[in-house]
Amino acid sequence: MSEFFEGMAEIFEVDVSKISSEFELHSGEAAWDSLAIVSTIALADDCFNVMLEGKALGDCQTIADIEKLIAQAKKA
Amino acid sequence: MMTAQSTSVGRHIKVTGAGIAGVVSCLPERQVTNAHFEAQFGESAVSDVVKMIGIKNRYWTDEKTSTRDLCLKAGQRLLTQLDWLPASVDALIFVTQTPDYRLPATACALQADLGLTSACIAFDVNLGCSGYPYALWLGMTMVQTGAARRVLLAVGDTISKIVDPTDRSTALLFGDAGTVTAIEQASAQSASFVLGTDGRGACNLIVPKGAFKDHSQSGDPRLLDKASDCLYMDGGEIFNFTLKAVPALVNETIEFSGIAADGHDGFLFHQANMFMLKHLTKKAKLPTEKVPINIDQYGNTSCASIPLLMTTCLQNQLRNASMQLGLFGFGVGYSWAGASLSVGPLKCVETIKC
Repeated sequence: MSEFFEGMAEIFEVDVSKISSEFELHSGEAAWDSLAIVSTIALADDCFNVMLEGKALGDCQTIADIEKLIAQAKKA
Repeated sequence: MMTAQSTSVGRHIKVTGAGIAGVVSCLPERQVTNAHFEAQFGESAVSDVVKMIGIKNRYWTDEKTSTRDLCLKAGQRLLTQLDWLPASVDALIFVTQTPDYRLPATACALQADLGLTSACIAFDVNLGCSGYPYALWLGMTMVQTGAARRVLLAVGDTISKIVDPTDRSTALLFGDAGTVTAIEQASAQSASFVLGTDGRGACNLIVPKGAFKDHSQSGDPRLLDKASDCLYMDGGEIFNFTLKAVPALVNETIEFSGIAADGHDGFLFHQANMFMLKHLTKKAKLPTEKVPINIDQYGNTSCASIPLLMTTCLQNQLRNASMQLGLFGFGVGYSWAGASLSVGPLKCVETIKC
């Protein structure tokens, strides 16, 4: 997961130590906008070779929600 | 007659006996840097968008200048440099999403502008980012069948005229350009094409209103606060589409050409956005030094982006040598097209200003 967390930290421009599964996507520190979503699609593709859907990502509240989508995509 | 084969990626088609004789791109004079957008969006939002799309500069037409005007300048220059008499051109195809009028076809106006004869085939093709390989396939097929000996492919767009200046996802992205490519008989040449379509993505990149159906009234919630006569783009959906479609298109085009990736001298991608291009290059496992990028200087110029790469990044090489090129267009429709062909040495390969 660490490569994924590093990527998420880069997307949100925060220190990687702040990133965990509990990280709130809509917190003051993050901008969970279309740019962040597109970056996350690319990151998940790089790290796990899975394709996440933009709409489903838009509904996520925390990084744990994104991890659930990744787990589902891996199974599919 | 050979029948083309299909896969889930597209139709596989070989065309023989035709090649590219020259290419000219024409850019408008007006240069628009990122500073232009800071008043509207603020400095930090502009820098966020720019970090992703990788664009520093683009060229926009003024109100009086249309795609036709850019292509006319390019076409005149091309005919002069190739020493082609207008009377020797048998067909003109205009690929654009920004024609002068809803009717008549702009190709008819360009036929007269360029002084081509009345025995000239001329028509418009409504395709965007995938348009250049489609135009090559059409033009080369016309030469192969004997329908035409010389064909001009006018390929360009002025998307600046249809973006909503307040829409952050599109306002900074596009640049204007018009190009013309000359096709003629070339007995030893052959080109491999992979062409495909998925209209289920039609509403993800669309101008909802302005022709004869009003999609802004369809109840699509994404369009509620959008200007209905401007370009709407669902960036996430387009990115998903691109990641699914393009690596497969690249692989199949290379495989179908019968020439290994190593045997190609350049891979020219539609310049969609920098982030996407870098990701696609990595995903398709292509060496970055063979993937020229000029989106930083010109923005996303829609169907003109591939010929614009030829007349900028590859100008010296194409003037002096023969290159095996892979060309990949993808986007609005959804529509996609790959081509592998040998190009050069070209008598004329230039970028001019309008």
